[in-house]
Amino acid sequence: MRKVWAIIRRELIAYFSSPLAYIVMTAFLLMQGYIFYLIVSFLNNPQTPAMTPLRLFFGGTIFFWLFLLFVVPVITMRLIAEERRSGTIEVLLTSPVTEAQVIVGKFAAAMAFYAALWLPTALYVVVLRRHSEIDIGPVLAGYLGVFLLGFFFLAVGTFCSTLTNNQLIAAIIAFAAMVALFSIGLVEQLMMSSSVIKSALGQMNLWTQMDDFAKGIVDTRHVIYQLSGGLLFLFLAAKSLEVKKWR
Amino acid sequence: MIEVENLGKTYVEEPVVRDLSFFVPEGQVLGFLGPNGAGKTTVMRMLTAFLPPTTGRVVVAGVDLDQDPVGLRRNVGYLPENVPLYPEMRVNEFLRFRADVEEVPRGEVHARIEDVVERCLIGDVRRQVIGTLSKGFRQRVGLAGALIHQPPVLILDEPTVGLDPNQIIKVRELITELGQDHTVLLSTHILPEVEQVCERVFIIDRGRVVADGTPEALRNKLVGNPSLAVELKGANGSARTALEALPGVVTISDRGEGRYLLEHAAGSDPREAVFRMAVERGWVLLALTPQQASLEDVFVRLTTREDELAPAAAEEVHDA
Repeated sequence: MRKVWAIIRRELIAYFSSPLAYIVMTAFLLMQGYIFYLIVSFLNNPQTPAMTPLRLFFGGTIFFWLFLLFVVPVITMRLIAEERRSGTIEVLLTSPVTEAQVIVGKFAAAMAFYAALWLPTALYVVVLRRHSEIDIGPVLAGYLGVFLLGFFFLAVGTFCSTLTNNQLIAAIIAFAAMVALFSIGLVEQLMMSSSVIKSALGQMNLWTQMDDFAKGIVDTRHVIYQLSGGLLFLFLAAKSLEVKKWR
Repeated sequence: MIEVENLGKTYVEEPVVRDLSFFVPEGQVLGFLGPNGAGKTTVMRMLTAFLPPTTGRVVVAGVDLDQDPVGLRRNVGYLPENVPLYPEMRVNEFLRFRADVEEVPRGEVHARIEDVVERCLIGDVRRQVIGTLSKGFRQRVGLAGALIHQPPVLILDEPTVGLDPNQIIKVRELITELGQDHTVLLSTHILPEVEQVCERVFIIDRGRVVADGTPEALRNKLVGNPSLAVELKGANGSARTALEALPGVVTISDRGEGRYLLEHAAGSDPREAVFRMAVERGWVLLALTPQQASLEDVFVRLTTREDELAPAAAEEVHDA
């Protein structure tokens, strides 16, 4: 545990000593600020249909997804690829640390950074509560959805980072993998006939899953899908590191 | 301390290390030599449980690689080639990280960091970001990291590559000092380094052992007769025949302008005779220097692929 903690701390030092972290955070807050502005203008318009405004905030706009699909690869691309490129992986894996500990530590650091991105948005909820009635249940469910989606996508990104020693390639693979996972829902909509496959794909639609969370529905199927997907990719990442640690 | 039996490593049908066996006793400083691509780094990576061997057995400080690779890593301090470090970390942060990862007991972390900082002379740069350090400092920071958990065995892959001559001397001094209480395996292709630092030399080529022994033993075994460089002024053409006739001299070669190279039988010393002859004949003796064959000659003879004599010579040494 202490070793995992040391890896997390080292990884956070790396995040916050690079300008990339600050660029990502700034861009993220700009985007969230814009969405917040949309929400407020909706609320000001008496013709707004009755809906939870915060649904927009959690995955209700394409901005959310676009940004997520870009930001997650940026967060994870460095994790293992850079260690392999610089050779520090050799130092790390000749100390009494297992591959699984390395992956868990790195992934946990990525999760922490992702959480840090979202943390300031809690202010919006505070501000909205002062001026309007907010049902806190869907907000919490929305944050849970954001967390789970982050868990899943960051695990995919971590796995992709073990595949190459080039950060850019790692980011591109991760982006492609995430787009593929995200478009499962689109494929489902394109399918004409109703079949078992269509309904299976429908269950894997991340957009509707996120929408459910934003509505305040915590469906255990969604929770299990995203958690088990994340764990699967973390397992694959550890195995891939074991096999591919030499250059 | 380090036991290797029939170690082999094959990458995609291409054997890189073949049937390597050796033993390094506690406290020895072993120079691990070989031309580029001989398999040195691969062997070191297997000794540090980074790469799994294809065949054979590795035991370091009593821990078998097969049974407990993580336990084996605890006993080894490893400095890979080119000293990979995290450029964004400060030296202090890096050492702290290494101490945590290497399981240094919490209470001792501070003392261990102080100790390695002092040993490796990096006190002045403790608060600096590693990326801004010079190559020499980076080397010492890497070494400090490898020493943090007081491993009984140190494995250093080309620790002086890319340093300036002053830094090389400092790193060598440090290694010599470390050799007093560690078993050290040091890979290099800088031969004078081996002569200065190592008690024993181990040369591999194409994944096989070609020589094993002390630097002196290797030289003596392989280079044959000792020789003497003589430079004379005022000698005429008869000098060559006269010198050749001296007792102990085996052959002589004329290098022009009064310079000769005498090869003499081991155990004989014709220097006095040369001096007396020069005095007798009125020659001025400008130089009289025993020539020591360098380890470089040995290395070249052993690892030059065209040299048909090499395998035979190697076996001779290996038996010794």
